[in-house]
Amino acid sequence: MFEILDAVLERAKALGAADVEVFGERSTSHRIKVYRQEVEQLTAAQRRGVGVRVFRDGAVGHAYTSDLTDGALDDLVRHALANAAVSDPDEFMALPQPQGEPAAVDPYDPRLASATDEDRIAVALEAEATALAADPRVKTVEDAMYVDGDGEVFIASTAGVRGSFRAGQCYAFAYVLAEEEDQVETGYSYAVGRAVEDLDATFVGAEAAERATRLLGAQKCPSMKAPVILDPFVSAAFFGVLSSALTADAVQKNRSLFAGREGERVAGELLELVDDGTLPDGLDSAPFDGEGVPCGRTPLITGGVLQGFLYDTYTARKAGRTSTGNGMRGGYSSLPGVRPSNLVVAGPVTPLDDIIAGMERGVLVTDAVGIHSGANPISGEFSVGISGVLIENGKLTTPVREVTLAGDIVGMLTSIRALGDDARWVPGGSVYTPSVVIDGMAIGGT
Amino acid sequence: MDVAKFDAGLLHATIVRALRRGGDFAEVFIEDRETLGLRLEDGRIEQTSGGRETGAAVRLLSGEHTYYAYSDAVDEAGLTAAAEAVAAAVSAGVEGPRVVDLGAVVSDPGKNPVRVPPGEISTAHKAELVRAGDEAARGVSDEIVQATVGYGDTRQRVLIANSLGDLVHDDRTRTRFVAQVVAKRGDVIQTGHETVGGSAGFELLDEDIARRTAVRAAEKARVMLDSKPAPSGPMPVVLANGFGGTLFHEACGHGLEADAIAKGASIYAGKMGEVVAAAMVSAYDEGSIANGWGTQAFDDEGVPTQKTLVIEEGRLTGYLYDRLRAREAGAAPTGNGRRQSFRHVPIPRMTTTYIAPGDLDPDEIIAATARGFYAKSLAGGQVEPASGNFVFGVAEGYLIEDGRITTPLRGATLVGNGIDILMKIDMIAGDFDVKTGICGKDGQGVPVGTGQATLRIAEMTVGGTG
Repeated sequence: MFEILDAVLERAKALGAADVEVFGERSTSHRIKVYRQEVEQLTAAQRRGVGVRVFRDGAVGHAYTSDLTDGALDDLVRHALANAAVSDPDEFMALPQPQGEPAAVDPYDPRLASATDEDRIAVALEAEATALAADPRVKTVEDAMYVDGDGEVFIASTAGVRGSFRAGQCYAFAYVLAEEEDQVETGYSYAVGRAVEDLDATFVGAEAAERATRLLGAQKCPSMKAPVILDPFVSAAFFGVLSSALTADAVQKNRSLFAGREGERVAGELLELVDDGTLPDGLDSAPFDGEGVPCGRTPLITGGVLQGFLYDTYTARKAGRTSTGNGMRGGYSSLPGVRPSNLVVAGPVTPLDDIIAGMERGVLVTDAVGIHSGANPISGEFSVGISGVLIENGKLTTPVREVTLAGDIVGMLTSIRALGDDARWVPGGSVYTPSVVIDGMAIGGT
Repeated sequence: MDVAKFDAGLLHATIVRALRRGGDFAEVFIEDRETLGLRLEDGRIEQTSGGRETGAAVRLLSGEHTYYAYSDAVDEAGLTAAAEAVAAAVSAGVEGPRVVDLGAVVSDPGKNPVRVPPGEISTAHKAELVRAGDEAARGVSDEIVQATVGYGDTRQRVLIANSLGDLVHDDRTRTRFVAQVVAKRGDVIQTGHETVGGSAGFELLDEDIARRTAVRAAEKARVMLDSKPAPSGPMPVVLANGFGGTLFHEACGHGLEADAIAKGASIYAGKMGEVVAAAMVSAYDEGSIANGWGTQAFDDEGVPTQKTLVIEEGRLTGYLYDRLRAREAGAAPTGNGRRQSFRHVPIPRMTTTYIAPGDLDPDEIIAATARGFYAKSLAGGQVEPASGNFVFGVAEGYLIEDGRITTPLRGATLVGNGIDILMKIDMIAGDFDVKTGICGKDGQGVPVGTGQATLRIAEMTVGGTG
């Protein structure tokens, strides 16, 4: 792949471009869905392509191709140059320079590539079988899946950035429908790992079944102001939305409610929020980001106080500092953008059972719909639909559904008063979080 | 590469190879996609990006099993590897059916005529539209603090060949302009969003249209600065035309897709012919509206798109099928087998889905509502097809008092159940309009149209912070 990257750099130089960066990708992936103990869908994929960024007097042009023949590479370079001619110049837009050694993390386990289709299918089958056996009210496992990705990325630039690494991850997923007296409730669970052997499919099936069946009989509860416990799945979704406001991109474009608040209290005193692209078991860990900048560890909130933001090369230059290694790419066809790597929610923990036992009246929230549409990361206001279980006099009692949870993000962060002892990785944004306890939330029911 | 002239002999050989060890249907999907995107933010065109992706996918169906392999390499080696991968996964061990010889290439270029191919317009001119949109949005008020304006065009050429002998070529051009505007007053920040798009060329846009679109987005954001927190509780809800159709798409449309039906994961499963909506409600999925954003001449399995009546005067009359689910159900495919790209397995998807208009004036509906919520624009939402429960964010909403639209309301969500709200529709106006969107399902995004006329739901739960 480096031969292709070098060929692109040569062509670009020949056409008069001085500042050029090429990003290449080569990957394989598998996706297996089973239904009623048979393989419903098996996908095997190969992907490869290159993307090039040309910088000229502060303007950037990007082009990509999956066709790696000579003629296509010529077109690629010409398109990138033409696109640079249209973009507006910006004094802070420039080719990323080499920024030290790659982070010492190896996001690849060679056992991933030695798995067979039989091994992969077995994971999905076991997740489904466990869910179906867990409770007679589990009627269907709508999705029982195994998914993996095994890819190499390559980067080279005229500034001397040059590197590659291989990363792999896999996960098992189950989405269960439980039914009783015409009411249908759903539950899901994941397991993540770097190799098939790491995935506990039995746990996934059992947990998804438990999460669906415990909502059976759910009804609306009265409207109230009460403490809530967001379980790790719900917490991860909230912090995922919130994280977009913690990027320098959002701050510099007036799109962040945290702009100008560094050093201020924005969350409960016990809360630590860190972006860490170097964790050995982090799904999005990598030696370097999509611009070749080493991944790092960036504290965002410490002791409830806002510490700073995430940067890529452009936003860092604009702010007069260095990139935090958060210039992330979706693939060869995407431009880098500022995004978190692995988000870690931490702080002093309390056993979850003790938290529930100490709560007179509240709701354990196990599902929230509409976080992405019902939460406004710019204003911080949100209103989402939730399902969960009512807590009365220190005990989990009746399930609830079709109620809303509303507030504003900073108000909610400030009202975080405890963290559970159940932290785990949640994929789809890679967040490591425990259950989070928040006081005085507005619950809209009957 | 010209996909329309791809070697038919190699396609046939690939299909035969895929069926070598069993299976009962095989298909090759070849795609060549060129895209251009411009994005302006902070008054600057900061991203201009374009490219070309080509790829080929081989799909094998065996009973209810699907085997799928794809590669970015559209050549004999890539197709052979993909065919081998699917053949190796079949356990039947018996050779599949005889492969019908491929016929002449079928296409229907008249269905979505492109008058001005975007490729013939300079990127610099496209950039001017984006800059005009930014300028117009900022001109609306001093309170406009940010505008993100985007332009995108795509030309996707596909060739679909299968073991039934079908050989279909579809050449699809889509053009879209998007404006998202942020207004700020003190601590209050609000956003507004507006789009124009279609399966059409650059004739859809000019500088004036770009300006007007951006101004509408800016006005939405500015109006919402005056908003008060929305109240909570059950009340009549009037959904505006256009964007209001997103609710039907999410809350009902996904439950009509035949994969959800087949798994019993839809409230509409087993309800064919039953009453699922108020008697005044008829609804369609129409993949064949000329130049519509959600329109294609053929779906991604080579089936011609069509107009499907899904609800007729309150009774359920149709589901949306791809080939696989149609075959299982003994039904005819409805042209709803869609995929995001060659990297995705086709599944049943909506195209342009809408509730048919009535004949009231929208003002009559407002006037007939003593107190209620007027949802002018929805921010998107989520639904669980199994239960039909949904939640929608409201981007632009107002209080209705004494038959008049009054205070703008913010932070509102609409919460309910798909069948329940369709049953409670009690007034439909005639001001039909369709908006463009990208619908996500199973990790695949496809362009869809959503639409309706202004209509009223007699009672629905509004979740607010006030």
